[in-house]
Amino acid sequence: MEAIVPKKEWSAAMRINHWATAFAIVVLIVTGFYIAKPFTIGAGETVDKFFMGSVRFWHIFCGVLLFFLFIWRIYMAFFSRFHADWKDFFAWTDWKNFMKQIKFYLLISNEKPEHNYLYGPLQALAYMGLLFLLLLINLTGLILLGAGYDAGWTHLVYVALKPFETMMGGLAMVRWIHHILTWCFILFIVVHVYMAFWYDAVFKEGTISSMISGRVFRRGHNE
Amino acid sequence: MDGRSNYDETISRQYRELIEHCKSHLEEMDDTLPEPVEDFQTLLQERGISRRSFLKWTSATTAALMLSPLFRPMVAKAAEQFSRLPVVWLHFAECTGCSEALLRSSYPNVDSILLDTISLEYHETLMAAAGYQAEENLERALHDFAGKFICVIEGALPKGMGGKYLTIGPKGKTGLEIAKEVTSKSAAVICIGSCSSFGGVQAAKPNPTDAVSVGDALGITTVNLGGCPPNPANFTGTLLHFLLFGALPPLDSLGRPIWAYGKRIHDFCERRPHYDAGEFVEEWGDRGAKKEWCLYKMGCKGPYTFANCAKVRFNDGTSWPVMAGHGCMGCTEPGFWDTMAPYEKPIADKTIGGGEKTVDKIGAVLTGVTVAGIAAHAGLSAIRHREKDKE
Repeated sequence: MEAIVPKKEWSAAMRINHWATAFAIVVLIVTGFYIAKPFTIGAGETVDKFFMGSVRFWHIFCGVLLFFLFIWRIYMAFFSRFHADWKDFFAWTDWKNFMKQIKFYLLISNEKPEHNYLYGPLQALAYMGLLFLLLLINLTGLILLGAGYDAGWTHLVYVALKPFETMMGGLAMVRWIHHILTWCFILFIVVHVYMAFWYDAVFKEGTISSMISGRVFRRGHNE
Repeated sequence: MDGRSNYDETISRQYRELIEHCKSHLEEMDDTLPEPVEDFQTLLQERGISRRSFLKWTSATTAALMLSPLFRPMVAKAAEQFSRLPVVWLHFAECTGCSEALLRSSYPNVDSILLDTISLEYHETLMAAAGYQAEENLERALHDFAGKFICVIEGALPKGMGGKYLTIGPKGKTGLEIAKEVTSKSAAVICIGSCSSFGGVQAAKPNPTDAVSVGDALGITTVNLGGCPPNPANFTGTLLHFLLFGALPPLDSLGRPIWAYGKRIHDFCERRPHYDAGEFVEEWGDRGAKKEWCLYKMGCKGPYTFANCAKVRFNDGTSWPVMAGHGCMGCTEPGFWDTMAPYEKPIADKTIGGGEKTVDKIGAVLTGVTVAGIAAHAGLSAIRHREKDKE
């Protein structure tokens, strides 16, 4: 009998990766803005304070976490045993569906676009953009981290990335590009969260809870 | 334990070999270099530098060059030979500030005496000769010391109008022509200051004369002593390294000697603890400024700048910019006039396309517009998709 049944959409690994990345990004944005424009801790003796030091610790901690989460996500895109989704990132190449999706989003048409891929055409484009943003922010972040170290793997990574620093025009420019990228993340988050809510409200498939339970509710037979 | 002793053995062998190389090279230089005009030790005594002060300077310089204390006698020997090394000093598009910084000091220390006695075969600011006579001196130096002299260049090379933005001397040669001729015969080229190293202020946007660094203009490898002006110690150290080993010191990817430009200002700044504590100067002359807190919020570019200013300091170790109460401007970095602006605000306040548009302002406006768009879309969606719910 056909009914509305739960269908597994996201593996546990994918969900952990999603929320860990979300956590890391939020911490990074908050600490990052403090590092960009810190406020002074006036009270107390200098020796008793380490506020900027702690903020930088958590920024670096979450930055390195984000780097490994990014590597893990790329790995899953190609080698996930549940669903390697690298092809789904190219859903936007289906131009007909792409136009349909835009019409649907702009509320011109009520016709739902086909669901041939894991992601919709615009979603795929946005996520590809996000991966590119992650690559750039990890690159600039590792350069900024490595510049202060003269030993260890951080330093080795820095030596390897030094040509990129020179290409960007020195550490000051790397720092500025890092700051610009932060705003790209903020804009992504705003749209991403809204679109998740919108899908949940319009399609009523449980989009929001799917990133927790791993399941969406669709018409079909029980698994 | 075995691995450790092997390591020690290798290191001491390498040191022995390096010392041997250094000694034989110094002897070779002793035979080939022209005779000194004055005896260096007598000169030091005349200028009131005691033997003890000279030895202290030797230790400091050996450490600055990242050499073991074993090299102190050789550094002293190289200092004695310093005045015998022929140098041709060229001036191009610049302000002569680097020469000023190197030659003027409140009282002489060993560095400045070395620079006072340097064997300048040709230096446009200091030479007595003029016109064709000066030209003759340069030609004679190029002929007599071909392949042996050090070419020091101060100033960028304008490439616009075939280089005619800069013509020098009675024959009206362009800077490009002179640079090509002199560098082709020199043993090594040392670019002193930001202009010759990276283009400097005349290469800043919009760069009307198309000024570029000497390395870029001629396509040659140069030692780039960035800085506006660079520390005299970095210049004497680089020449001493050349005298000691017959080779230029190891350079970073921008051609700067690693011994001087290998570490960031920020990491050796005396105000760094205040940065980590979260104690910042908020405006000039406030409580934080009096307590010598971190100048990060006043636009210090120390975190983006590689130089040894914090360790070596200027004017015989008297002070340096941050110690004097103003942030670093990042003058040792390429294109610092453009990349480090605004100079008295943090990089976060850098504007896009002039005016007041910082990244934060643009970002906040874009986010506001996005949120407004979302609100409109949500409202319209509620109307558009309402009928469906009734089905």
